Amino acid sequence: MTMIDTIEGSPTSARRPAASAVDLTKTYGTGDATVQALDGVTLEFGAGRFTAVMGPSGSGKSTLMHCMAGLDTPTSGTAFIGDAEIGSLDDKALTQLRRDKVGFIFQAFNLVPTLTARENITLPVDLAGGKVDEDWLRQVTDQLRITDRLGHRPSEMSGGQQQRVACARALVTRPELIFADEPTGNLDSNSSTEVLEFLRRSVTEFGQSIVMVTHDARGAAFADRVVFLADGRLVDELEDPTSDAILEKMKKLGG
Amino acid sequence: MLRLTLKGLLAHKLRVALTALAIVLGVTFVTGTLVLTDTINNSFTSLFSKIYSHVDFEVRGVAAFSDQQGAGAVRQPVSDTLLGKVAAVPGVAASEGLVGGYAQFVGKDGKAITTGGAPTLGTTFGSKPELSALHPISGHGPTNSSQLAMDEGTAKKHGFNVGDRVTVLLPGPPATFTIAGIVRFGSADNLGGATLAAFTLPTAQKLFHVEGRVDSIEVAIAPGADKATVEHSIAKVLPTGVEVVPAQKVADEQSSAINNALGFFSTALLVFALISLFVGGFTILNTFSITVGQRTRELALLRIVGASRGQVFRSVMLEALVIGLLASIIGLGLGVAMAVGLEALLDAFGISLPKGALIFAPRTAIVGLAVGVGVTVVSAVSPARRAVRIAPIAALQGVQAGTEGNSLRRTVVGASFVLLGGAALGVGLSAPQISLVGLGAFLTFIGVGMLSPLVARPMASMLGRPLARLRGISGRLGRENSMRSPRRTAQTAAALMVGLALVSTIAVFGASLSRSATSSVSDAIAADYIAMATSQGGPPTGFSEAAAKTVAALPGVTLASPIYAGQAKVANSVTSITGLAPKDVGVTITLRMDQGDGTGALAGGQLLVDTTTATKDKLRVGQRLKVTFAETGPTTLTIGGIYKPNIILGSYLVGRSTFNAHFAAATLPLALLVSTSGVTSREMTTELTKGLAGYPNLTVQTRAEFEKTQEAQVNQLLGLVYALLALAIVVALIGIVNTLMLSVFERTREIGLLRAVGMSRRQVRTMIRAEAVILSVFGAVIGIVVGTGLGVALVTSLKDQGFTDLVVPWGNMVTFLVLAGLLGLAAASWPARRAARLNILEAIATE
Repeated sequence: MTMIDTIEGSPTSARRPAASAVDLTKTYGTGDATVQALDGVTLEFGAGRFTAVMGPSGSGKSTLMHCMAGLDTPTSGTAFIGDAEIGSLDDKALTQLRRDKVGFIFQAFNLVPTLTARENITLPVDLAGGKVDEDWLRQVTDQLRITDRLGHRPSEMSGGQQQRVACARALVTRPELIFADEPTGNLDSNSSTEVLEFLRRSVTEFGQSIVMVTHDARGAAFADRVVFLADGRLVDELEDPTSDAILEKMKKLGG
Repeated sequence: MLRLTLKGLLAHKLRVALTALAIVLGVTFVTGTLVLTDTINNSFTSLFSKIYSHVDFEVRGVAAFSDQQGAGAVRQPVSDTLLGKVAAVPGVAASEGLVGGYAQFVGKDGKAITTGGAPTLGTTFGSKPELSALHPISGHGPTNSSQLAMDEGTAKKHGFNVGDRVTVLLPGPPATFTIAGIVRFGSADNLGGATLAAFTLPTAQKLFHVEGRVDSIEVAIAPGADKATVEHSIAKVLPTGVEVVPAQKVADEQSSAINNALGFFSTALLVFALISLFVGGFTILNTFSITVGQRTRELALLRIVGASRGQVFRSVMLEALVIGLLASIIGLGLGVAMAVGLEALLDAFGISLPKGALIFAPRTAIVGLAVGVGVTVVSAVSPARRAVRIAPIAALQGVQAGTEGNSLRRTVVGASFVLLGGAALGVGLSAPQISLVGLGAFLTFIGVGMLSPLVARPMASMLGRPLARLRGISGRLGRENSMRSPRRTAQTAAALMVGLALVSTIAVFGASLSRSATSSVSDAIAADYIAMATSQGGPPTGFSEAAAKTVAALPGVTLASPIYAGQAKVANSVTSITGLAPKDVGVTITLRMDQGDGTGALAGGQLLVDTTTATKDKLRVGQRLKVTFAETGPTTLTIGGIYKPNIILGSYLVGRSTFNAHFAAATLPLALLVSTSGVTSREMTTELTKGLAGYPNLTVQTRAEFEKTQEAQVNQLLGLVYALLALAIVVALIGIVNTLMLSVFERTREIGLLRAVGMSRRQVRTMIRAEAVILSVFGAVIGIVVGTGLGVALVTSLKDQGFTDLVVPWGNMVTFLVLAGLLGLAAASWPARRAARLNILEAIATE
């Protein structure tokens, strides 16, 4: 099944995609200095699936994620989170979207240093003035084994713990989609595995949708599907990937 | 290293600009004040030289004493028979007698023309134009006793023309004259806002009660005559007590008298300029501390690649030097503009100054540059020393210098500063020695500034609690941010602390002064009504004696007591002596005696002294004091009693007959106290007002109204001081803006993250504003506490000077606190907007 089929409404796919992009382009600079970061990307991220985005440096994978998450505006084309077309939203609506429908995990500097772990996790809920689902919070933090660290500030935690707190924050609002931008890029291999296993579990057990940008084949192997970008174009993809298969593809792309 | 520093400055233009702004403002104020006073000084000097340019000598009475050199001296008139003798001296080409006195015009609306403090001069119009400083521009000089000449300024401003009739208030009853001519004073249309009425010599002699005498004789010598010889010849015909002086000396005396009076004004302005520079120093200290912290990695990297400690230190100091220099140069330029603006402002208030070129003395540039660069460089020393302590390894660790907690050393040094400052204040207040008080306050502020990081965390936490509750997560984040770096919070707040401490000191001082003044009115005056001649805002001027007689004759008036005051030299200092009829005591005036019998002593020709003076000069009843009067020379008076300080009476008091025996008949009463047979009523007020209709310069007030006027005067003065302190507050706010901008810059990534996880722009703004409010209220709280302490100390030390009541105006303090919070909000608006506008993607990508 190709992505295009799903967009056109295949009867076998009852669930709509968590996010999709149609002919997305992004150009930086003008004249000779023009860089085509995205060149007509059309794809979708399935709901309840763990998708990895891979590609060599400069392939446009981060730009794709930023445009789809509403952090950057595409030069042309449209991006959707659920039903919402990102381009049509003003700053207020985008803020609302980020609060309720999207979760973020960055490579580093995920936490506000003045807040405790718990305050960092509930930040999106607090910003929205909402009420924290304590049971859900407990479930998530137990899974991440950070329940006993909730009163600590980021400076009192290890890098792996900090990144797990960031995972909990991304999950706390049960968003339609979590964007993870190289979430294990700064971690040792044990901590990486822990984070990746958790992301995998949250898809399998809670039905969470996740898009993860990475250049680590081992990490991408945790995903249900890997899409490959090169020179701003979607060039390939893999379903139920293995590390070896991913490395094979990457070699072909010259990454 | 130099190029690196300059590049760094260019890269941070905004920060440099904000830092420099604090210094620019201070230097602008210093320069503006100096340029303005120099310009005024120069204008008056050249004006007086011009006025006396046709005259070679002046013959006048020798000053019995003078309160300042020259024109302030009290001189006796000389006999007009000297006119002929001087004219007959060989070499004298022309000579003329001059008489001066009080003459105030009444406008066409029937209201007295007031001057805002400048004198209302009556003088003679000389019959010899070659000697006269007055030049008719239309009409001619007065030729008989029903004519006068009016100055051009008054004529223009109040619509008088040649041939008009004008009423003039005089030492005697008011009189009406025909305007024979409009005259110029030298080349100016007026003299610093003063009004001028010129009469013929015989008329002036009669009006000013100096028949047969003249105040001075102006002399011009014949062409070719030797000056020294003529001066010598004139001196020979003069009796003792009369002197001949070169006209240039008289001009110098007069201009220096005006310049001395202006000196106070310029000193006051300079003090406020220095206060704002001091506050600016805190801002600079803070900015440099923060940027050194932010540049830890860069500075450590410099150390790794081989920069010595000295080079790091010099690079920070060089940055300060360049900023200070730039700011001071801009300040010098703006200061000149400010001087022009101030001149226009004074003009708008009716204080016209003689026109003259703007004087920019080299001294102004030197002082402006020295204080501007000095404050900047001194403030940067402590941050530069911190930069030196950065270890090269910090480049790899990414820790920030200067975020460590409170060092013991800092606490000890801060506490010593506070103790030292307190001691200086204590000694300064009891001495009293104003410069020591200033030094004490200065040290205290620095000490408190050093100690305040100790309380910054708990205070910010406490002050932020209501915000966190009211404003949710944004408020809480703002609170956390303000607690993040206690030293930064404290240093930012310190600038505002100084400003608010001074405001609070003034508030306590003013409220106490106001209360003391009103309560002392009821302690000093028993009369139902008080009549005084006041020009708006100015000190009370004298008024016609005839008014007192008019009031005394009104039905219902039981006693009208004019209060006279004159200058005399008691022991070795020139002071004011009040004259009072013994029968007034207890009826119109309240005299509380500490020792002796007041009425008896006054009637017996003895001197009364108030308690403050008696204590200060160790005077006792029965002691004999040498008193020198201008008119009658030295005499000896016995102290007959000591009275409690009385705001109407001043330090020394004599009976009316004693007063009259020693002062010229033309001395004017300053106040008229009126007792009536009934209570104060609207009818009585109307009666008095009607009775005084001929004296429109007199205002009649009931005692209650008089109290209110006293209070209003105090408040007006306070308003002026607050306005001047506003400059320091503005500088402190610039400091807050600067700190917030630097914090926003420093937390770019954090703000990006917050935005990414769903913080709205509004919430970002709220977060920054909350931090600003906490910062400023923190500064305000400490400032108000310190300021109230200073105010209480000040008022307590002035207990003997008539500060009988100590009032702490809590209402005002609360207002200050609220205002500080609002100002904090205002200061936050720009940084908040900038933070809210951060591009999320770029913010997150920031290293």
